[in-house]
Amino acid sequence: MSAFVLAAIGMLLAAIPCLIVVWRGQPMDAVVAYEAVGSITVLVLILLAEGFRRSGEFELAVLLAVLILGSGLVFVRFLERWL
Amino acid sequence: MIREVTVDVLLGLAVAVAAASSAGVLAMRDAYQRVHYLTPLSIVAPVLVGLAVLVQAGYSTRSAQTWLAVGFLVIASPFLSHATIRAARIRADGDWRTTIGHDGAKPEDKP
Repeated sequence: MSAFVLAAIGMLLAAIPCLIVVWRGQPMDAVVAYEAVGSITVLVLILLAEGFRRSGEFELAVLLAVLILGSGLVFVRFLERWL
Repeated sequence: MIREVTVDVLLGLAVAVAAASSAGVLAMRDAYQRVHYLTPLSIVAPVLVGLAVLVQAGYSTRSAQTWLAVGFLVIASPFLSHATIRAARIRADGDWRTTIGHDGAKPEDKP
């Protein structure tokens, strides 16, 4: 098992505290934790793609990095106005 | 040998930064405090991972795609943090401007 795969596992474990906040926190706290989990997920995808030497899967990380901004803005806009 | 050690150190630092930031998100009291821990998670850790991939793969398509994702994260993070705190202030106070208090009155309106 390469260092990249081990780092991906470590990143996933590091996401657990944020997932606890997403599960139990107030809406604004959960959004902040969701943004943190999104960043960790991008890193996990990069690490797994490099760890298994699958160059095509780097595109997933690029796409998710773009979508995190859009989805985060949608969440905070809804929380700001309607929720 | 040096390359492997460098990659291991960079990845270890990235995981440590992510773990510390995630613990900070859990430990803080409210969104205003929690959002401070997004910055190392969205900027420092991705740059470290990008450097690790660059050391491992050299100048290649893999490195380019990694740095593209890292660039998106680094650029998006400040905007997202600002929007999040703005939304939190509007939810709490009704307006994001600091000159308007909890009662909605501006400083010049108060006696």
